[in-house]
Amino acid sequence: MGKHLLTVESLSKRFHSGGRAVAAADALSFHIDAAETLALAGPSGSGKSTVARLLLRLIEPDAGSIAFEGDDWLALQGNALRARRARMQMVFQDPLAAFNPRATVARVLDDPLRIRRIAPRSERPARIAELLERVGLSPNLAGRTVHEVSGGQRQRVAIARAIATKPSLIVLDEAVSALDVSVRGKILELLADLQRTDGIAYLFISHDLGLVRAFAHRVAILDGGRLTEEGDARAVIDAPRSAVGKALVAATPRLHRLTGQDAS
Amino acid sequence: MRRRFLQTPEAVAGTAILVLLAAMALAAPLLFPGDPLRIAGPALTPPFQDWALPLGTDRLGRDVLAELFHGARTSLVVGLAAAAASLAVGAVIGTLAGFAGGLADEALMRLTDAFQTVPGFLLALAFVSIVGPSLSVVVAAIALSAWTGPARIARAEVLSIRERDFVAGARVVGMHPLEIAFREVLPNALPPVLALSSIIVAQAILIEAALSFLGLGDPNRVTWGGMVAEGRTVLRTAPFLSIVPGIALVVTVLGVYLAGEGAVEGAAVRKGLS
Amino acid sequence: MSAAQQAPLVALRGLTVAYGDDAPALSAIDLDIRAGERLALIGESGSGKSTLALAFADLLPASAKTAGTIEWEGTSPLGGRDIGFVFQNPAGSLDPVMAVGRQVAEVARTHLGLSWPDALARACDLFGRVGLPDPDTLVHAFPHQLSGGQKQRVALAAAIAARPKLLIADEATSALDTIVQAEIVALIRRLAAEDGMTLLFVSHDIALAAELADRIAVLRGGRLMELGPTRQVIGRPQNSYTRSLIAAHIGLDSPPLFAAANMSAPANG
Ligand SMILES: Nc1ncnc2c1ncn2[C@@H]1O[C@H](COP(=O)(O)OP(=O)(O)OP(=O)(O)O)[C@@H](O)[C@H]1O
Ligand SMILES: Nc1ncnc2c1ncn2[C@@H]1O[C@H](COP(=O)(O)OP(=O)(O)OP(=O)(O)O)[C@@H](O)[C@H]1O
Ligand SMILES: [Mg+2]
Ligand SMILES: [Mg+2]
Repeated sequence: MGKHLLTVESLSKRFHSGGRAVAAADALSFHIDAAETLALAGPSGSGKSTVARLLLRLIEPDAGSIAFEGDDWLALQGNALRARRARMQMVFQDPLAAFNPRATVARVLDDPLRIRRIAPRSERPARIAELLERVGLSPNLAGRTVHEVSGGQRQRVAIARAIATKPSLIVLDEAVSALDVSVRGKILELLADLQRTDGIAYLFISHDLGLVRAFAHRVAILDGGRLTEEGDARAVIDAPRSAVGKALVAATPRLHRLTGQDAS
Repeated sequence: MRRRFLQTPEAVAGTAILVLLAAMALAAPLLFPGDPLRIAGPALTPPFQDWALPLGTDRLGRDVLAELFHGARTSLVVGLAAAAASLAVGAVIGTLAGFAGGLADEALMRLTDAFQTVPGFLLALAFVSIVGPSLSVVVAAIALSAWTGPARIARAEVLSIRERDFVAGARVVGMHPLEIAFREVLPNALPPVLALSSIIVAQAILIEAALSFLGLGDPNRVTWGGMVAEGRTVLRTAPFLSIVPGIALVVTVLGVYLAGEGAVEGAAVRKGLS
Repeated sequence: MSAAQQAPLVALRGLTVAYGDDAPALSAIDLDIRAGERLALIGESGSGKSTLALAFADLLPASAKTAGTIEWEGTSPLGGRDIGFVFQNPAGSLDPVMAVGRQVAEVARTHLGLSWPDALARACDLFGRVGLPDPDTLVHAFPHQLSGGQKQRVALAAAIAARPKLLIADEATSALDTIVQAEIVALIRRLAAEDGMTLLFVSHDIALAAELADRIAVLRGGRLMELGPTRQVIGRPQNSYTRSLIAAHIGLDSPPLFAAANMSAPANG
C-alpha cells in the first residue's frame, strides 16, 4: 500500500433484483499510479460502471478495501469524506444527464469552488473563466444553460468541473464514447495534456478497444464482475489471452479492411 | 408561451376572472376607504335604489358593494397564502421523504397518511376552534389540511430524480445532502407539484368561506362566507344579501380552476415540444 | 446488392429543416431509402443526423420549420407500428418508474393487439433476441437497475416489438460493447433479411456503419456530402470531408495517440 495512488483489494458488490443476485464486482484487485491511465474494458454489464460508482463512494461495497492517497478510503464518512472527494472526480458518459437541467455552465463550475472553499465569492467568476479557458472553451459560455451548448462543449464543461478541485484521479466512465471522432480527438488531447501538466491519473472506462489501446497505459478486462486479464494496453489488445479479451477484439469493427490500406 | 397559455377560451375566461378579482382586491381600499364594516346608510336598502350604495345595504346598514370588494381581498389573501404554505410544506416533506428514503421516508409517509385520512375541512375546523379565529390561524388551518397532496407528488417525483446522474455528480463534488435535496432535486420536482396549485387555491377559498360561514373566520375582516351567513337571517326578505357573495365565490373558484387548467395545458404543450 | 433495383420505400426531395430562427439544421436534402436496404447515416455531432432520422419518422418537434417533401411508397406509415425508432438517448426514452418489460409489452399490445400475457411473453422473447441476459428476470427490472448497454437493448426491443417495416436506429449501439454490438448488428441483419425490414442506421462510428450498411450517406452542416455504396464511400471517397472522417478513425491498428508521449511519466509517481 501507500506505494500506489489507488489500491483496490478484493472489492465485491452484489445487486439483488427480482430475487436474484448479480455479482457486479467480484473480488476485484487492481491499482493505479499517479499520472497513469488504467483502462477498464469489458462487455456491457460486466461491472465497469459499478467499479466507478464504488470508487466514488456513490454506492458501498459488500467487501474489500480501497486505499486512496494513503487513506483507508472506505473508512471516511460524512464531512471528512466530502472534503476528500475533491481529490477523486468523475466524468459521466452522458453529460446532459450529469448536470442539473436548470444549471448554467457558471453554476456547474461555481459549485466545486464554493463547496470546497477554493476561491472566495469575488474571485470565482475569474476562476470560472480560467477553468473554461483551460478546457478550450470561451468564457462567454458561462451564462448559458447546459442545454444550450453542444455535446462536445458539454463534455468539456464536465472535465472543467472535474479538474476544478485539483484531483489526483479522474474516473472517466465512457466519457468520450458519445462524441464524434473530431471532438473526441480534441477531448483526448486535452485529457493527455492535463495528465502531463498536473499529473492526473485516469481510470478510463470504455468498450472501444481501439481507443483503449491508443490512450491508456494499462488495461484491465472485466467479465461478469471479475478481472480476467490485465497488462500493458497494447500488449493485451494485440494478443489477448482471455476468452472475453479475444472475443472483444475479434468483434471490433475494422475500417481498414475496406479502405484496403493499413495504417500501421 | 403566453400565447399558448391563452389559446383556449376557458383559459382566457379564467384569467379574465382572476384579473378582475385581483383588481377588486387591490382597488378596495381606494374605492371604499375606511372600515367596510361601518354603517353606511339605512339598513336593508335593496340594490339599484341609491346610487351611493349600488348593491344596497345589509341588516346593519353596511355597504354591500364595499363588503364585496374587501371580501375579495380576504378570499385572495387566504387562498394564495394557504396554497403557498401547503405547497411549501408539502414539497419540503415530500422531498425529504423521497430523498432520505428508508426510515425517514416511512415515518413521513405514515404522517402524511394520518393527515390524509381526516377530512380536510374537519381538521381546519378543529384547529381554528382550538386556537381561535384570526387570519393567520385560518391560513395555517387550511394549509394543515392541504399539504398532503403536494407531499405525495413531490415524493414520487423525487424518487425518480434522485436516481439521475446529476445527483451523483453533485455528491462527487462534495455537496451536502441537504443542499442536494433542496437545491438540485427539489426545483426539478416542482412542476407537477405546482400543477396542483389551482386546485389548492380554489379549495382554500372554499374552506375559508365555510369557516367564516360557521363564524370561525377572522371577526375583524369582511369575508364572503361571513356575508352569506349574515344574509341567511333575512333570507326571505332580502335574498340578494346571500346571493351576491355566493355568486362571487362560485365565479372566483371557477376562474381559479379554469386558469389553472389552462396553465397546466400550456405547460404540457411546452414539455411536448422539448 | 438486391436492394439496388428496388423502388424507393421513401423519397425525400429538397428537405430543409430549421429550428427557430437558427441556420437550417438540414438544407435541401434529396435522399431515397430503398425497400429492404440498410442505409447508414454518418457525420459529426450537430451535422443533422438525428434531425433527418426524426424527419423520416415524422417526429420533429413542432418548433421545427420544414420545407420539401417526403413521399412514401403506398400509404403513409404509422409511427410506432410501421416505423420503429431507437432514440439516441435510451435512458431518456424509457419511463423511469415502469418495469422495462411492461414498456416493451405495451408496444406489442397496442400495435399487434396482443393480450397482456401474450405481450409480456413477446417482451421476454424480444429481450432474449436482443441479447439481454436472463430475460425472465430482467423484464421486471426498472431502468435504473440496468447498465447503460442493457437499457439500449431494451430500447431496441421496444422499437422492433411491433415488427416495423422501417427501423430507424439513432446511435443504437453507441453504448454497447463490441461483442453485443456485433450481435445486435447480426440481429439487425437477420431482421432485415427475415422480415424484409428496412434499416436507417445513424452512427458516428464510421467503421461500424461500414460493417453494417449497403449504402452510406455522409452529412455535414446539414448538407449531404456523399452518398453511395459502402465499398465506394469507404474505399474511394470522393469528398475530402469523408476522407478526413476515415483518417480520424481510431481503430485497433491506429498508432498510440498520446500514451506513448507520457509513458515515462508514471515512473516518478
Ligand atoms: N442498482 C442496481 N440494481 C440492480 N442491479 C444493478 C444495479 N446497477 C447495476 N446492476 C447490474 O450490475 C451489472 C453491472 O452493471 P454495470 O452498470 O456496472 O455494467 P457496465 O460494465 O458499466 O456495463 P455498460 O458497458 O453496459 O455500461 C449489470 O448486470 C446490471 O444489471
Ligand atoms: N430541438 C431543437 N431545437 C433547436 N435546435 C436543435 C434541436 N435539435 C437539434 N438542433 C440543432 O440542429 C442541428 C442538428 O442537430 P442534430 O441533433 O440533428 O445533429 P446530430 O447529427 O444528430 O448530432 P449528434 O451526433 O451530436 O447527435 C444542431 O445544430 C442542433 O443544435
Ligand atoms: Mg456502464
Ligand atoms: Mg443525434
